[in-house]
Amino acid sequence: MNTEEQNNSEGSEQSTEDVTAPVTEQPAATEPRFQLFELRKQIPQWLAVLAGIASILLCAGIWYFVTAGPGEERVLGHSQLPSIGETVELLPTVWDSEAPERHLWDNTIKSLTRVVIGFALAVAVGIPIGIACGCFPLCRSFFAPLVLFGRNIPIAALIPLLLAMFQTGELQKYMFIFVACVAFIVADTIDAIADVAQRYVETALTLGAARLQIVFKVLVPLAMPTVFNSLRVMFGLAFGYIMLVEFMHEGDGAGGLGFLLNIARRRGITEYTVIIILTIPIVAWMIDQMLYVIQCWLFPWKYSKEAKRSLAYRVSERIIRLFWKRKVA
Amino acid sequence: MSREQDMTEHVVEFTNVSKTYNFGQPDAFTAIQNVTFSVSDLPDRGEFVAVLGPSGCGKSTVLRLIAGLAPQHPATTGTVLVQGQPVVAPGADRGMVFQDYTSFDNRSVLDNVAFGLECQGVAKAERHERAREWIAKVGLNVSTDAAKYPHELSGGMRQRVAIARTLILRPQIILMDEPFGALDPHTRMQMQDLLVSLWNEVQATVFFVTHSIEEAVYLGDRVFILSRSPGTLLHQIEVEPPNRPAMEMQQEAGFQKTVYSIRRILEDLESGQDS
Repeated sequence: MNTEEQNNSEGSEQSTEDVTAPVTEQPAATEPRFQLFELRKQIPQWLAVLAGIASILLCAGIWYFVTAGPGEERVLGHSQLPSIGETVELLPTVWDSEAPERHLWDNTIKSLTRVVIGFALAVAVGIPIGIACGCFPLCRSFFAPLVLFGRNIPIAALIPLLLAMFQTGELQKYMFIFVACVAFIVADTIDAIADVAQRYVETALTLGAARLQIVFKVLVPLAMPTVFNSLRVMFGLAFGYIMLVEFMHEGDGAGGLGFLLNIARRRGITEYTVIIILTIPIVAWMIDQMLYVIQCWLFPWKYSKEAKRSLAYRVSERIIRLFWKRKVA
Repeated sequence: MSREQDMTEHVVEFTNVSKTYNFGQPDAFTAIQNVTFSVSDLPDRGEFVAVLGPSGCGKSTVLRLIAGLAPQHPATTGTVLVQGQPVVAPGADRGMVFQDYTSFDNRSVLDNVAFGLECQGVAKAERHERAREWIAKVGLNVSTDAAKYPHELSGGMRQRVAIARTLILRPQIILMDEPFGALDPHTRMQMQDLLVSLWNEVQATVFFVTHSIEEAVYLGDRVFILSRSPGTLLHQIEVEPPNRPAMEMQQEAGFQKTVYSIRRILEDLESGQDS
C-alpha cells in the first residue's frame, strides 16, 4: 500500500517537472508536486473518497435547497418531494412491527428471492444453449430467431401475456424474470465463446484434443469469466425488472419492493418512495460486490491481480481465513 | 516398388502444392505455388528444417498444411503426404508451437503441460508426474512454477511451457511458427540452446519458421528459402548442425559467411530481383 503511493507520487512529479521546473533545480523535483486534473493518472485513495463524498453532499445540498422552508414556499412541495428531515424521521417506521407486510427488509428479501429463482432458471437454460450455439453454427442458426425476438421485445410488453398464462402468483414473477433474461444470457454466452481466440482451438487440435474435449476443456473454461461478467450486469437489470411486475400487482399476497412503491404512491407518503428508491441501489451494489467476490474466487487465473485492489475481496479473504482457522482449531 | 520406398522413407512430402484462396473469383489470392520437397527421417535423429523467406510469402502456410489446420488446409492442388499418408486433420503426431502465446490461461503450468495426456485419458497421477518431468526438462522450476498460472509467467517461460506441452506427446513432427519471434535476443539464444538439447532427445523432424537468418542457420540442418508471394521453394541449403552453444557458434567466421550469403539472397528477393 505504502509503496504504491510512493510510486504514484514519483510518477506525478516526473511528468510535471519538465513543464514548470528548470532542470537545474533538483530539490524542487523531489518534492511531490500535486496536480488535481492529471490525465489518466491514479489519484490517492483519500482524494478519491473525498470526491465521492463531495458528489453525495452536492446532491443532498440540492435536495435540501429545493425542499427548504415551510410548506408553500418550497420549490418542490411535500407531495412531490419530502425534505431530508421528514425522510429521516420516517426511517424507523419502515421496520414498524405493526405492519409487517410493509417492512422494507422483508420485501427486499421477497423481491430478491423472486429474482434469484427466475434468474437461476434463465442461467440453467440459457448457458447450455449459448454454449451449444457458440460452438456449433447450426445450433446458432436454429436459435437465432428466438434470440432476436427475446432481445428486442420490450420487457413491459410481456406482462399482459404472462399474467394471462400464469395469473398473479409467484410463478408469474419467476417466469417474467426468466423470459426477460434468458435471451440475453444466450446471446452473451455465444459472444463469449466466439471471442475465445482461434489459436487456442488450433493449439488444442495439434495436441490431439477431440471436438467435445475442445468444447469443455478449452472453449467453455476460457469463456466463463466473460459469461460471469455479463451475468453480473444482467442480474442488476433483473433486480430492476422485478419492481415492474410487483408494481403492477395489486391485491393480497403481492409484496416486494415494487409493491411497496405502489402503496407509497397511493397513500401519498413520498418519504417512503424516497427511502425505497435509496435502498434499491444500495442493495443492488451490495449484490454486485458479492458477485464480484465470487467471480474472483471462481477465476483466480484471471482476477488474482485485480482482486487484491478490491476492498470487498480483501474482506472476503479475511472472513474465509477466520473460518479456516476455526475449522483447524 | 519406388512408391513403397517413398512411404517408408519420407516423413513429409510436398508435390506441386499450391494454395489459392477464393479460387476462380476476382479476389483470388495465391499463398504458395508449386512447392515440392521431401524430408526424410534421418535415423536416430530426425531432420531440422528452418524455413526463411520474405514477409507474407507463405512460410506459415507450409507449416499449417502439414498440421492440417484450416483455412490453409486442404491444399488447392498437389499432395501433402505425412508418413506417406495424405493429411486429413490435425493430430498429436504433428505438434505445433505458435508465435502467439497459447497457454490455456485457466490451467496451471502443470495442467497446461499435461493437457495432451489428459485428452488421451491418461490418469491424473501419471500425467502429472510426466508433466513435472517435462517442466524440469524445459528449464522451469517444478516446485515454484508448476502451480503458476500463465498470466504470472514471462514470454520466455510461456514458450517453455508451450514446448513442454508439445514434446511430452513425443510427436514425430514438430512445427514451430516463429516461436521465439516475440522474445528479446538474450532469451531467444537461451531458447535456441534449449531447443537443440531437447531435440537431440526427442529425435523428431522439425519445421521451424523464422525471420532471423542467424536462428535459421544455427538451428537448421537444412534451410529452405521461399520466394516472394506467391511463395515457391527457391533454395534448399545444407548448413552445419548446431553442435555448440548458440553464443559461441554464431560468432564464428564460417557461420557469419553462411548468414551473409543467405541475407544476400533474401535481400534480392525483397527488392524483387528474382534469380
